[in-house]
Amino acid sequence: MRIIVCIKQVPGTNEVKMDPETNTIIRENVPAIINPFDTYAIEEAVRIKERRGGEVIGITMGIPAAKEMLKEAISLRIDKGVLLTDRKFAGADTLATSYTLSKGIEKIGEFDLIICGKQATDGDTAQVGSSMARTLGIPYATDISKIIDIKEDKIHCLKITDDGYEEIEIKLPALITVVKEINMPRLPSIKTMKIAQKSEIEVLTLNDTDADEKRTGLKGSPTQVRKTFVPVHEVSNEMIEGTTEEKAIKLSEILLKLKGKVK
Amino acid sequence: MPNNFEQVYGEFLRDESRQVGYAESIVFPKTEDEIIASVKEMSRKNIQITTQGARTGLAASAVPFGGHIINLSRMNKVTGARYDRENDRFFLKVQPGVLLTELRKFLLNKSFVTSDWDEESLEALKYMEKNQWFYSTDPTEASASMGGIAACNASGAKSFRYGSARDHITGLRMVLADGDVLDIKRGQYIAQGRDFSLITESGRVIKGQLPDYDMPSVKKNTSGYYNKPGMDMLDLFIGSDGTLGIISEIEIELNKVQDACWGITIFMPGEDKALDLVRALRKEIRVNNIDIDLYPSAIEFFSNKALEMLRIEQKTNPAFGNIQEIKESYHTAVYIEIEGDSDEEIWAGVEKLGDIINSLGGNEDDTWVANNPTSLEKLHEFRHACPECVNMKIDNIKKFYHNITKLGSDMSVPNDKLKEVMKMYNTDIKENNLEAVIFGHIGDNHLHVNIIPRNMEEFERGKNLFLTWAEKISKMGGAVSAEHGVGKLKVPFLEKMYNEKEINEMRRLKKIFDPAQLLNRGTIFPYVEGEK
Repeated sequence: MRIIVCIKQVPGTNEVKMDPETNTIIRENVPAIINPFDTYAIEEAVRIKERRGGEVIGITMGIPAAKEMLKEAISLRIDKGVLLTDRKFAGADTLATSYTLSKGIEKIGEFDLIICGKQATDGDTAQVGSSMARTLGIPYATDISKIIDIKEDKIHCLKITDDGYEEIEIKLPALITVVKEINMPRLPSIKTMKIAQKSEIEVLTLNDTDADEKRTGLKGSPTQVRKTFVPVHEVSNEMIEGTTEEKAIKLSEILLKLKGKVK
Repeated sequence: MPNNFEQVYGEFLRDESRQVGYAESIVFPKTEDEIIASVKEMSRKNIQITTQGARTGLAASAVPFGGHIINLSRMNKVTGARYDRENDRFFLKVQPGVLLTELRKFLLNKSFVTSDWDEESLEALKYMEKNQWFYSTDPTEASASMGGIAACNASGAKSFRYGSARDHITGLRMVLADGDVLDIKRGQYIAQGRDFSLITESGRVIKGQLPDYDMPSVKKNTSGYYNKPGMDMLDLFIGSDGTLGIISEIEIELNKVQDACWGITIFMPGEDKALDLVRALRKEIRVNNIDIDLYPSAIEFFSNKALEMLRIEQKTNPAFGNIQEIKESYHTAVYIEIEGDSDEEIWAGVEKLGDIINSLGGNEDDTWVANNPTSLEKLHEFRHACPECVNMKIDNIKKFYHNITKLGSDMSVPNDKLKEVMKMYNTDIKENNLEAVIFGHIGDNHLHVNIIPRNMEEFERGKNLFLTWAEKISKMGGAVSAEHGVGKLKVPFLEKMYNEKEINEMRRLKKIFDPAQLLNRGTIFPYVEGEK
């Protein structure tokens, strides 16, 4: 079985800073980590491989430094990493990203299953997985919480919905996105880290793929970001001093002032 | 105080040792003056006082047996800071009720409440960055209070590199049994041979002579009063289990946070091989001519039975669902934590560690490597799961046998006795047909053997075994209490380590500071009325 896992590098912090000019995330000087949801995708792919044999290939689109992240994914037991990197890929929205990733996957060749994390923790759009399936012309299912069975030609799994679970069967090749309930990712071992250290990452540029330049990067991105901001959570504390009675009076005064203002 | 004291204040009659005591009154002072007022009143009425912090102790120091309780949990402020620019050293003044978890949070976010700080402290704070300094004493129970940590000279896993609480305390303020205050800084009072002289805030001179006994030559020891000719007198009060005075303020020294920190859990195919790995990490033996450039801050151990217990729990108890899968083939585990200037520097050592594991008959693939804070947290959860699991089991058995308490040992031996002591534990547990798990700070030959009794008879047998071990370990040159303090539970153990004359010497020393023996009576040694 040949499984492809899509992996994204995200800032390893919850204090994301935005560039006010370009409305894109400032990634410089922020430690990058594997998108946490993608670690579940990696683990699930590796588990399938351990059961059924085959190969797991990780793919990412990003800056040259993303090679290190793919090596880290190898320490999490995938077999190979492919990096799509080109200046012309820069500034991509979810449509251009999924197009570029699809072209990279076509270059990798035949596959049985693509697994993505449910969404990335920086953009939170959850669009790339399904958009890729559409570009590649394969069936897909999102929010998978359990793989019940996988055979040569179909996968039987459990999907989390707003109301509960759906048991579904999809013909392979297909794409699924997974939620964190699906497994508990294993940590690397010294052995897998040594393997990762010695591994070579395959690098693909625009010219290595059949991608149409007009559909990649900023050029291929119809999304217009009007404004971005980090939500401000205003929390303030006030200590009330005094005797119990004084404190009760003060508290009720404060609560009365807030009446109607708090929803 | 209400008549139904036990109903209202029941929780203050016990601690993590699961011992339950009794008392007549309790106060929760917020200032040193309030401690003084309470102590003076009790002293006048000749009522004994038990001091409490967060009650996370395992030796029942905080469990009262009569009298009055002074609970310091509301003295929970960081009161100042000091920065030695020349030597780049940072110090904090904390009240005894500050919890370790709180202190860590303050240091991580630099979020001190500074409204009462003086100029010097505010100036010092300007030189502190977020998450730049940390407090190295790390008992497994992070909800411990700073006063408790000082009172029992706590240590924790990282003491392998950083030493115990003693090594990071630079000053104490203490309310003595008569309400007078002793403010003592490191280097301020040095004993002349065994003679010492201290001056209290009221100007009273306390003169005395240190006892005539030797301490064991182990790295971790909190068995009775610290005692050495020519010692810094501050050391007498650290680890004195609240028997000499009530701590009202502590000055601690911080350590610099290093850029990289990794944790690795290593599963070895047998206990002997795990012990060899520990000795290789301590550079006592050389494996396959491999030179290893790795200096762990912690070396921890999990016995086969401990892993077996966790393996069962993780399948049935959702609380432990976050732990990595413990494979059936994993026999014994060693956990190490390494700090360094960079990931690359640590990795160079870890690569060689893999070769050593393989050479010892292990498999470098049977390891969990955590090289970022998120995964490190997972390994900490695993480490913490052991004592938690034991506590749960004890609580369960307690439902049927109320008098059963936790049976966890805290003894340490010199380096060359590690294999001998492990053999002793294993043989004795087997011969006594007891269920026990062993885990803890093997880097310092300091293991916690936890006996899990299935009935009262096994509990008694376990207790007796601990006494036997106290005797055997004393003969090996070890300490009967390495980090929990003697408290009340380990009084009989200390009597195996020191003879009657030596214990009387400790009692004599206490009476220099507390003639009526009001403070934490029955702690470290039994209370004997009158002269002895």
